Amino acid sequence: MKLKGYQVELRQVSEIDIEMLRKWRNDPEVSQFMLDRKPISREQQSAWYKKIQRDPGQIHFVISYRDQPIGAANLKARGLGKTLDTANAIEPGLYIADKRYRNNILAFAPTLLLNDYCFNTLGTARLLAVVKASNVAALNYNQKLGYKVENEGDLLEISLTHNNYLSATKQLRSLLSR
Amino acid sequence: MNSAETLYQAFASSLDVDLSEINDDLAYNSFPKWDSTAHMILVAEIEAQFDIMLDTDDIIDMSSVAKAKEILSKYEVSF
Repeated sequence: MKLKGYQVELRQVSEIDIEMLRKWRNDPEVSQFMLDRKPISREQQSAWYKKIQRDPGQIHFVISYRDQPIGAANLKARGLGKTLDTANAIEPGLYIADKRYRNNILAFAPTLLLNDYCFNTLGTARLLAVVKASNVAALNYNQKLGYKVENEGDLLEISLTHNNYLSATKQLRSLLSR
Repeated sequence: MNSAETLYQAFASSLDVDLSEINDDLAYNSFPKWDSTAHMILVAEIEAQFDIMLDTDDIIDMSSVAKAKEILSKYEVSF
Protein backbone atom coordinates (compact mmCIF):
# COMPACT_ATOMS: atom_id res chain seq x y z
CA MET A 1 0.00 0.00 0.00
CA LYS A 2 1.22 3.49 -0.87
CA LEU A 3 0.08 7.00 0.00
CA LYS A 4 1.40 9.91 -2.01
CA GLY A 5 1.05 13.66 -1.54
CA TYR A 6 2.55 16.83 -0.07
CA GLN A 7 5.84 15.93 -1.87
CA VAL A 8 6.34 12.65 0.03
CA GLU A 9 5.45 9.00 -0.41
CA LEU A 10 4.48 6.58 2.32
CA ARG A 11 5.13 2.96 1.34
CA GLN A 12 4.04 0.08 3.53
CA VAL A 13 7.03 -1.50 5.28
CA SER A 14 8.37 -4.65 3.63
CA GLU A 15 10.98 -7.14 4.80
CA ILE A 16 13.82 -5.33 3.00
CA ASP A 17 13.20 -2.24 5.16
CA ILE A 18 13.37 -3.76 8.60
CA GLU A 19 17.14 -3.52 9.18
CA MET A 20 17.16 0.11 8.06
CA LEU A 21 14.25 0.81 10.41
CA ARG A 22 16.03 -0.93 13.29
CA LYS A 23 19.16 1.20 12.78
CA TRP A 24 17.07 4.37 12.71
CA ARG A 25 15.06 3.33 15.74
CA ASN A 26 18.21 2.52 17.73
CA ASP A 27 19.77 5.92 17.01
CA PRO A 28 19.64 7.80 20.35
CA GLU A 29 18.63 10.97 18.51
CA VAL A 30 15.52 9.15 17.30
CA SER A 31 14.78 7.05 20.37
CA GLN A 32 15.32 9.77 23.00
CA PHE A 33 11.71 10.92 22.99
CA MET A 34 10.10 7.50 22.57
CA LEU A 35 8.20 5.93 25.42
CA ASP A 36 10.28 2.74 25.09
CA ARG A 37 13.93 3.62 24.51
CA LYS A 38 15.49 0.17 24.85
CA PRO A 39 17.69 -0.87 21.89
CA ILE A 40 16.04 -3.36 19.53
CA SER A 41 17.84 -6.57 18.48
CA ARG A 42 17.63 -8.20 15.03
CA GLU A 43 15.49 -10.96 16.54
CA GLN A 44 13.07 -8.51 18.15
CA GLN A 45 12.82 -6.59 14.89
CA SER A 46 12.08 -9.76 12.96
CA ALA A 47 9.40 -10.76 15.48
CA TRP A 48 7.90 -7.25 15.28
CA TYR A 49 7.70 -7.48 11.50
CA LYS A 50 5.92 -10.84 11.65
CA LYS A 51 3.46 -9.42 14.19
CA ILE A 52 2.55 -6.30 12.21
CA GLN A 53 1.96 -8.31 9.05
CA ARG A 54 -0.98 -10.10 10.63
CA ASP A 55 -2.33 -7.25 12.74
CA PRO A 56 -5.21 -5.32 11.08
CA GLY A 57 -5.01 -2.79 13.92
CA GLN A 58 -1.81 -1.21 12.69
CA ILE A 59 0.07 -0.28 9.55
CA HIS A 60 3.67 0.89 9.20
CA PHE A 61 5.23 2.96 6.44
CA VAL A 62 8.61 4.12 5.19
CA ILE A 63 8.57 7.84 4.33
CA SER A 64 10.38 8.84 1.13
CA TYR A 65 11.22 12.28 -0.21
CA ARG A 66 12.79 12.66 -3.66
CA ASP A 67 12.93 8.83 -3.81
CA GLN A 68 15.10 8.61 -0.67
CA PRO A 69 13.87 7.05 2.60
CA ILE A 70 13.89 9.74 5.31
CA GLY A 71 11.84 8.29 8.15
CA ALA A 72 9.04 6.06 9.35
CA ALA A 73 5.35 6.48 10.15
CA ASN A 74 2.57 4.32 11.47
CA LEU A 75 -1.09 4.19 12.38
CA LYS A 76 -2.50 2.20 15.30
CA ALA A 77 -6.16 1.61 16.07
CA ARG A 78 -7.23 2.52 19.60
CA GLY A 79 -9.57 0.16 21.41
CA LEU A 80 -9.52 -3.57 22.13
CA GLY A 81 -10.06 -5.66 19.01
CA LYS A 82 -10.45 -2.63 16.79
CA THR A 83 -8.98 -2.51 13.31
CA LEU A 84 -7.96 0.60 11.42
CA ASP A 85 -11.24 0.35 9.51
CA THR A 86 -13.44 0.04 12.59
CA ALA A 87 -11.68 2.21 15.18
CA ASN A 88 -13.24 5.49 16.23
CA ALA A 89 -9.81 6.73 17.22
CA ILE A 90 -6.41 6.14 15.66
CA GLU A 91 -2.97 6.98 17.00
CA PRO A 92 -0.49 8.12 14.34
CA GLY A 93 3.24 7.95 14.96
CA LEU A 94 6.22 9.27 13.06
CA TYR A 95 9.90 10.03 13.20
CA ILE A 96 12.21 11.70 10.71
CA ALA A 97 15.55 9.87 10.64
CA ASP A 98 17.24 12.10 8.08
CA LYS A 99 18.62 15.06 10.05
CA ARG A 100 18.28 17.42 7.09
CA TYR A 101 14.50 17.28 7.36
CA ARG A 102 14.00 16.76 11.09
CA ASN A 103 13.18 20.38 11.88
CA ASN A 104 12.08 21.28 8.39
CA ILE A 105 8.60 22.17 7.24
CA LEU A 106 8.77 18.91 5.27
CA ALA A 107 8.42 17.02 8.57
CA PHE A 108 4.72 17.95 8.47
CA ALA A 109 4.16 16.34 5.07
CA PRO A 110 3.91 12.66 6.11
CA THR A 111 1.59 13.58 8.96
CA LEU A 112 -0.71 15.55 6.66
CA LEU A 113 -0.84 12.54 4.37
CA LEU A 114 -1.61 10.15 7.23
CA ASN A 115 -4.24 12.48 8.70
CA ASP A 116 -5.98 12.90 5.34
CA TYR A 117 -6.02 9.12 4.97
CA CYS A 118 -7.47 8.61 8.45
CA PHE A 119 -10.17 11.28 8.20
CA ASN A 120 -11.08 10.97 4.52
CA THR A 121 -10.57 7.28 3.71
CA LEU A 122 -10.86 5.42 7.01
CA GLY A 123 -13.52 7.77 8.37
CA THR A 124 -11.80 8.11 11.73
CA ALA A 125 -13.61 10.38 14.19
CA ARG A 126 -10.49 11.57 15.96
CA LEU A 127 -6.77 11.06 16.20
CA LEU A 128 -4.97 10.60 19.49
CA ALA A 129 -1.38 10.87 20.60
CA VAL A 130 0.58 10.54 23.81
CA VAL A 131 3.55 12.90 24.16
CA LYS A 132 6.10 13.22 26.95
CA ALA A 133 5.51 16.57 28.64
CA SER A 134 9.26 17.18 28.34
CA ASN A 135 9.09 16.82 24.56
CA VAL A 136 8.24 20.44 23.81
CA ALA A 137 9.13 20.09 20.13
CA ALA A 138 6.63 17.25 19.63
CA LEU A 139 3.94 19.12 21.54
CA ASN A 140 4.47 22.26 19.44
CA TYR A 141 4.47 20.16 16.29
CA ASN A 142 1.16 18.52 17.18
CA GLN A 143 -0.46 21.76 18.31
CA LYS A 144 0.37 23.26 14.90
CA LEU A 145 -1.61 20.39 13.41
CA GLY A 146 -4.60 21.36 15.56
CA TYR A 147 -4.21 18.86 18.44
CA LYS A 148 -5.66 19.88 21.82
CA VAL A 149 -4.36 18.67 25.18
CA GLU A 150 -6.89 16.37 26.90
CA ASN A 151 -5.02 15.14 29.97
CA GLU A 152 -2.05 16.80 31.66
CA GLY A 153 0.76 14.90 33.42
CA ASP A 154 4.22 13.55 32.67
CA LEU A 155 2.55 12.04 29.64
CA LEU A 156 0.17 14.33 27.81
CA GLU A 157 -2.82 12.93 25.97
CA ILE A 158 -3.72 15.04 22.96
CA SER A 159 -6.47 14.65 20.39
CA LEU A 160 -7.42 15.99 16.99
CA THR A 161 -10.79 16.26 15.26
CA HIS A 162 -11.21 16.63 11.52
CA ASN A 163 -12.47 20.21 11.80
CA ASN A 164 -9.60 21.29 14.04
CA TYR A 165 -7.16 19.62 11.67
CA LEU A 166 -8.56 21.35 8.60
CA SER A 167 -8.62 24.81 10.14
CA ALA A 168 -5.14 24.54 11.73
CA THR A 169 -3.38 23.25 8.62
CA LYS A 170 -4.98 25.17 5.77
CA GLN A 171 -1.83 27.19 4.99
CA LEU A 172 0.53 24.28 5.61
CA ARG A 173 -1.40 21.97 3.28
CA SER A 174 -1.47 24.66 0.63
CA LEU A 175 2.29 25.30 0.79
CA LEU A 176 3.18 21.61 0.63
CA SER A 177 0.85 20.75 -2.24
CA ARG A 178 1.64 23.38 -4.86
CA MET B 1 16.09 49.21 -1.20
CA ASN B 2 18.13 46.61 -3.12
CA SER B 3 17.24 42.90 -3.28
CA ALA B 4 19.44 41.89 -0.36
CA GLU B 5 18.00 44.60 1.87
CA THR B 6 14.47 43.61 0.86
CA LEU B 7 15.23 39.96 1.67
CA TYR B 8 16.82 40.77 5.04
CA GLN B 9 13.83 42.95 5.90
CA ALA B 10 11.48 40.09 4.97
CA PHE B 11 13.41 37.77 7.30
CA ALA B 12 13.46 40.33 10.13
CA SER B 13 9.72 40.99 10.00
CA SER B 14 8.78 37.30 9.55
CA LEU B 15 11.00 36.09 12.39
CA ASP B 16 10.12 39.14 14.50
CA VAL B 17 13.73 40.09 15.15
CA ASP B 18 15.87 43.19 14.64
CA LEU B 19 17.31 43.65 11.16
CA SER B 20 20.82 43.58 12.67
CA GLU B 21 20.30 39.90 13.60
CA ILE B 22 19.87 38.86 9.98
CA ASN B 23 22.91 37.64 8.06
CA ASP B 24 23.58 35.05 5.36
CA ASP B 25 24.56 32.38 7.91
CA LEU B 26 21.23 32.48 9.73
CA ALA B 27 19.78 28.96 9.42
CA TYR B 28 16.49 27.24 10.17
CA ASN B 29 17.97 24.67 12.57
CA SER B 30 20.03 27.13 14.59
CA PHE B 31 17.56 29.94 15.20
CA PRO B 32 14.68 29.04 17.53
CA LYS B 33 12.38 31.81 16.27
CA TRP B 34 12.57 30.35 12.75
CA ASP B 35 10.03 27.58 13.27
CA SER B 36 7.47 26.19 10.85
CA THR B 37 4.98 28.98 11.51
CA ALA B 38 7.62 31.66 10.94
CA HIS B 39 8.68 29.77 7.83
CA MET B 40 5.16 30.01 6.37
CA ILE B 41 5.03 33.73 7.19
CA LEU B 42 8.47 34.15 5.62
CA VAL B 43 7.40 32.42 2.41
CA ALA B 44 4.35 34.67 2.14
CA GLU B 45 6.47 37.79 2.81
CA ILE B 46 9.14 36.86 0.25
CA GLU B 47 6.48 36.07 -2.35
CA ALA B 48 4.79 39.42 -1.73
CA GLN B 49 8.02 41.45 -1.75
CA PHE B 50 9.45 39.87 -4.89
CA ASP B 51 6.12 39.18 -6.63
CA ILE B 52 6.91 35.50 -7.20
CA MET B 53 5.40 32.13 -6.30
CA LEU B 54 7.89 29.65 -4.89
CA ASP B 55 7.76 25.95 -5.79
CA THR B 56 7.16 23.59 -2.87
CA ASP B 57 10.66 22.10 -3.27
CA ASP B 58 12.12 25.59 -2.88
CA ILE B 59 9.98 26.25 0.21
CA ILE B 60 11.37 23.04 1.72
CA ASP B 61 14.96 23.82 0.68
CA MET B 62 14.98 27.39 2.00
CA SER B 63 16.95 26.54 5.13
CA SER B 64 19.16 29.64 5.48
CA VAL B 65 19.36 33.23 4.32
CA ALA B 66 22.16 32.28 1.93
CA LYS B 67 20.02 29.45 0.53
CA ALA B 68 17.12 31.88 0.12
CA LYS B 69 19.34 34.09 -2.04
CA GLU B 70 20.36 31.08 -4.13
CA ILE B 71 16.73 30.06 -4.59
CA LEU B 72 15.58 33.58 -5.44
CA SER B 73 18.26 33.76 -8.12
CA LYS B 74 16.30 31.05 -9.97
CA TYR B 75 13.35 33.45 -10.00
CA GLU B 76 15.50 36.12 -11.67
CA VAL B 77 16.12 38.11 -8.50
CA SER B 78 19.73 39.31 -8.53
CA PHE B 79 21.85 40.04 -5.46
